[in-house]
Amino acid sequence: MAQAALSLPSQTGGARPAVRSARRIERRRMLLWLVPPIAWFTVFMLVPYALLFYYSLGQAEDMVFTPGLSLRNFARVFTDEPYLGVILKSARIGLMTSVLSAIMAYPLAFCLAFHVRSASLKFVLYLLVIVPWWASYLVKAYAWKTILGTGGILNATLQGLGLTHEPVRLFLYNEFSVVLTLTYIFTPFAVLSIYAQLERVPTSLIEAARNLGASAWEIVFRIVLPISVPGVIAGGIITFSLAFGDFVAPVLVGGPDSLMISNIVINLLGVAFDWPMAAAIGLVIIALGLALISLSGWLEEKTQVRL
Amino acid sequence: MKSTSRTSSFAMPGRCGVGAMLGAALALAMAFAQPATAAGNLTLLVWEGYADDSFVKPFEAETNCKVNTVYVGSNDEIVSKLMSGGGAADLTAPSNDTNMRLVAAGAVSPVDMSKVPNAADFLPQFKNPSWLVKDGKVYGVPYGWGVVRIIADPKAVPADTDTLGFLWNPKYKGKISVWDDIETVYMAARALGFKNTYDLSDAQLEKVKAKLIEMKPNIRKYWFTTGEMGNLMSSGEVVGGNSWESTLVELRNAGREVADLKPKEGRGGWADSWMIVKGAESNPCVYPWLNYVSSPKAQALAHKVTGFGYPNAKMPTELDDKTKAAYDALGMVDPQTFTNVDWWQPVKRRGKYLEIWNQVKAAAQ
Repeated sequence: MAQAALSLPSQTGGARPAVRSARRIERRRMLLWLVPPIAWFTVFMLVPYALLFYYSLGQAEDMVFTPGLSLRNFARVFTDEPYLGVILKSARIGLMTSVLSAIMAYPLAFCLAFHVRSASLKFVLYLLVIVPWWASYLVKAYAWKTILGTGGILNATLQGLGLTHEPVRLFLYNEFSVVLTLTYIFTPFAVLSIYAQLERVPTSLIEAARNLGASAWEIVFRIVLPISVPGVIAGGIITFSLAFGDFVAPVLVGGPDSLMISNIVINLLGVAFDWPMAAAIGLVIIALGLALISLSGWLEEKTQVRL
Repeated sequence: MKSTSRTSSFAMPGRCGVGAMLGAALALAMAFAQPATAAGNLTLLVWEGYADDSFVKPFEAETNCKVNTVYVGSNDEIVSKLMSGGGAADLTAPSNDTNMRLVAAGAVSPVDMSKVPNAADFLPQFKNPSWLVKDGKVYGVPYGWGVVRIIADPKAVPADTDTLGFLWNPKYKGKISVWDDIETVYMAARALGFKNTYDLSDAQLEKVKAKLIEMKPNIRKYWFTTGEMGNLMSSGEVVGGNSWESTLVELRNAGREVADLKPKEGRGGWADSWMIVKGAESNPCVYPWLNYVSSPKAQALAHKVTGFGYPNAKMPTELDDKTKAAYDALGMVDPQTFTNVDWWQPVKRRGKYLEIWNQVKAAAQ
């Protein structure tokens, strides 16, 4: 088999006179290759967005949708309670999650990139970061309930050690437990993204710095950290977006006021049948997301160090 | 497909070796077989548990009707599926806050109750209930039902508490859990003494909202599934709130004492009913199914699956002893249970109710 594959180039090598037509064929073939992504983009992105926009301009009265051309729903997102407040709250939870994830992820990614020498150990650690993703999101969120609950592992331990006499009720069913759960679940994304960037730091650069007498801290703060910023931003955007749009954690471990914007969208679709309002909220979020991604793209570009 | 295989087996004995005769026999058998049995297809648009194999299979064997099921997750899904037309289903089983909406929209046909003899054994509350009757016509056959229970841990809340007021008692700070649903909006309206639960004015809704925000310091968690409420109760996170019958049964089966309070302000009641989608009344499988699911036996099998109440008064006799004891303990056939039930009705301004509910949830504690 290997020999057949090796001899292939010499067989096709004789097709020299047909270069022009080959190029044309190539171009045509390119178009053919472009059909699936364009079709995918049209069917799954452009058409749904157009539909979303169409719905957002209409109105739903008593379960019946009437198309229209009114921006009333968009105005409601910004003026009526509780929509804007909940969007901001979701953004706050997203931001806390992304910052905490980055803080958790950075040392791990750093270790993985610079301190683990053996390739197989690196692979194992890398795998350990990803493995939790094989377990269902729900199971992981539920696990936190059994850890943080009044009769949970954490409280049992604290009481067993004599540190507390009554179960602490502050661990579960509030914003803290939501952010904690989201951070736990989404941190791997931050690890992978920061690690990918740290891998780019050339060892020659570090060696040169060391030879010129730079201390370990200087190397970290003046070489490694600046180079890794784009990775931190990219990971931050991913964890922020995932946490911002989450609707499971607030339902499972959230408290009486842990309502997030995706929960409202689900309610509007399922309970109130207010598709236009849900579509308007969706579009506002998409617009905010686009702005955020543009900003981060610009920031990534600015902070990217040429190596 | 089913009818052709049936007719060919019918024709088997008449095969005399002559091809032409075989064809004639087949055609004849077909012509006779058609009206003899109600063979056909039946499509149900229902909740999970409403077309369980345990009672669908016997029906299929008995009638030769093939049952297809489309599951839905909310009443709105039923409405939107039926409104979009196109023969989405033959039968559906929406709740009492949706029945009249479908009737008003002309999406369903009246039921000829004389073709559902088993309904004669229904509890009086489910004989032509108001949520199914319009202009003297009945538009559905009652099925699964329940009362939204007010439950409490008798160790913390006196078992003779007869008012919803305890949910607001500062004594139970962080110890209450209520349903994350607009039923909780209804409940607050009842607590305020409003009689028009399902048609509240803006001013009333503002009061309901304030009342619900006032309850927030007591709320540990708004529950999402009845099983979650059971967990919250059994782990001691909360001492009371509202829930469905299944939570009571679950806790009692686990050996926990739990009080089933009867607040004087009333309790919410939900009831699903089988409705015939317009145009499906001529489907020969429709009435056999309606009568079958109204029988004590089929309802007992359904109760095993869902844990809901069922309208046939003779249903409990078909249950095993343990299940029957639990069913009786809930007072599911006791006329007393039905006094002071505020049965769900269509809410014209559901969007507004939901907005109020979201505002309550978004409000800081």
